[in-house]
Amino acid sequence: MKTATLNQTDIGKCLDLLLQSEFRVIAPQLRPRLESPDAIDVMMLTQIDSGENHAVGQGVLPLNGVKEFLFVKDEPLFAFENKGKKVLMTEVHHDYPKTVIFGVRPCDAASVSSQNAVFSKANAGFEDPFFTKRLENTTIVTYSCTNPDMSCFCTSVGLAPDSDRGSDLHLTEIPGNRLQVEPKTPAGEIVAKILEPLFQWPGEPQARTQAGKEAQDKITRIRNSHLIKGWLDELSNFDDELWERLGEKCIGCGACTFMCPTCHCFDIVDENRGGKGYRIKFWDSCQFDHFTLHASGHNPRDSQYKRYRNRFSCKFKIYLDKFDAQGCVGCGRCIRDCPVNLDITEYMKEVDLKASLPNALQRDPDFE
Amino acid sequence: MIEAIRTQAHNLLENKEIDVVIGYGNGSDPTRTTPVFIRKPEEVNRLIFDPRCINSLPVYLNKRQGYPKKGWKRVGIIGKGCDIRAITQLIAENQLSRDEVYIFGVPCDGVVSHFSKWDGSLRDDNRATKCSECDVHIPNDCDFFPGERPEVDRSGPYKVSAPQVLNLFNLKTDKRFKFWEKEFERCFKCYACREVCPHCSCNICITDRTTPNWIDQAPHTKGVFGWHLTRALHLVGRCTGCGECTRACPVDIQVDLFNQRMKDVVQGSFGYKSGYSETEKPPLITYMTDDSENFIQ
Repeated sequence: MKTATLNQTDIGKCLDLLLQSEFRVIAPQLRPRLESPDAIDVMMLTQIDSGENHAVGQGVLPLNGVKEFLFVKDEPLFAFENKGKKVLMTEVHHDYPKTVIFGVRPCDAASVSSQNAVFSKANAGFEDPFFTKRLENTTIVTYSCTNPDMSCFCTSVGLAPDSDRGSDLHLTEIPGNRLQVEPKTPAGEIVAKILEPLFQWPGEPQARTQAGKEAQDKITRIRNSHLIKGWLDELSNFDDELWERLGEKCIGCGACTFMCPTCHCFDIVDENRGGKGYRIKFWDSCQFDHFTLHASGHNPRDSQYKRYRNRFSCKFKIYLDKFDAQGCVGCGRCIRDCPVNLDITEYMKEVDLKASLPNALQRDPDFE
Repeated sequence: MIEAIRTQAHNLLENKEIDVVIGYGNGSDPTRTTPVFIRKPEEVNRLIFDPRCINSLPVYLNKRQGYPKKGWKRVGIIGKGCDIRAITQLIAENQLSRDEVYIFGVPCDGVVSHFSKWDGSLRDDNRATKCSECDVHIPNDCDFFPGERPEVDRSGPYKVSAPQVLNLFNLKTDKRFKFWEKEFERCFKCYACREVCPHCSCNICITDRTTPNWIDQAPHTKGVFGWHLTRALHLVGRCTGCGECTRACPVDIQVDLFNQRMKDVVQGSFGYKSGYSETEKPPLITYMTDDSENFIQ
């Protein structure tokens, strides 16, 4: 399909058309604010039932990524119960509704392919059917960023405020309160077909490119990431002094990993619910002290800075080695949500410095 | 003010009277500060103090956070009045002894409620709520104070929590349950509320124990309620109201509403205010043989 344009004010109508076509629609919404001076405005991707009150295109990016709609934060894998002397195992019914996630930011859309690399057979060698079936039924409509904030750093990891990686249908604001519409995949074409009554032709690719450039210029957090992998590959750097120096303030909460759109670790536990057992998969975090605790009592990552070293290495080395996918998409959530301002881009900066000036343990006097 | 603290920190570090100063330094963004560990006298100029200094640093005095594993004998720490209350409470609970810390008290007019609300000045609309009911703007215990420390009368009537706490707890049970159910939908148990808390000091948290599995680990309604209610109850009479749990929550759940309510209950029932005395024990971790409740006798 050719590119088209759309009036920005018609987004609500778009959502209504999708709802009428029996899609489950997920879009950003502003959560009503609690009556407290301490409360902050929270925008979240939420399942909606009408096109009113959406927050598509507003703010920087939703608090949650698309992760929780594909890799659900807790889900039963199967159930089991005693039947006489035997244990009976039963499947647990899961729904995989046809879903459109509307107004996803480009960094979040790119994170889906990273997660898919972990959960699909092609890259990881083992398939997680819960994830892949959900992804199969999900269409992602991306919305280019117009106002990245101080914590955004997508351009440092090879993305951009208007990149279309992982997108099925891509929207970009262009002058005149309009949107350039670009279908990217067959799934995106299907959604575009539904929204067609609201389109105008032809599209304006030049205006769209210009808009992308303007957004890119607003990004202030810029780091060099191309030397990081090589530096991490060097075994002796595993015990470099920077890990402890930068990481000692980490208090070991899992906020960065749970908010991260590419973090994918999970734990499995058996739960008793009314005489029936359920095996449940739920989100876990490498920042927890018992994450690598062995049954013997030994813990290979016995202090917090080692756990953060793992997180950084996962993003810039392990992801590339094991899954051939991008580990960090630069959304900046781990920076915004860290209670002690532990900043992944400070690690990027220092590693880059060390990699480019091998023997000089230079420290930036401005860095805390 | 900070100059005096830097000079004192410099002298103490140089004379090796303390091993480290835990304080605030500039963060990676202009609106943020970050905890810093100053070990060398020449680094003291990194120390700063202004309304962006939200963090409660006594969390680093918590044994769970690695202290005193690092070999520190005496730790210098920069404390706002509320942080020093947390230190006092740690001492009252035998988690720390007073001579292990050297407290640099700072006068504080309040801090900003969230870093995103900082634009260079502190006003009523961006000051944290805890600061408006604070009676320790001038700290009540410290080893060093920049300038003359005025005597403050803290015996006045206890200020109850913000009205929204009472409004919430006056709701009918089912409505209150609905409120929390809706809020807890977002919780995925990252345990940031636990990790930032200066008083969560168990070596192994009850939620991490799996044999038996006291609290469901998965973040479904039951598991999330199990965690938050246990957390609230374990902090009864111990929470000093620093509000770090709410600030640290990445999905903006106001978990300290529980703690604020419990603070009122403890004050009403036992007349106890946490964090003001090193010797008075919190009511729920002690008992008296002449207790008016007969089940304990």
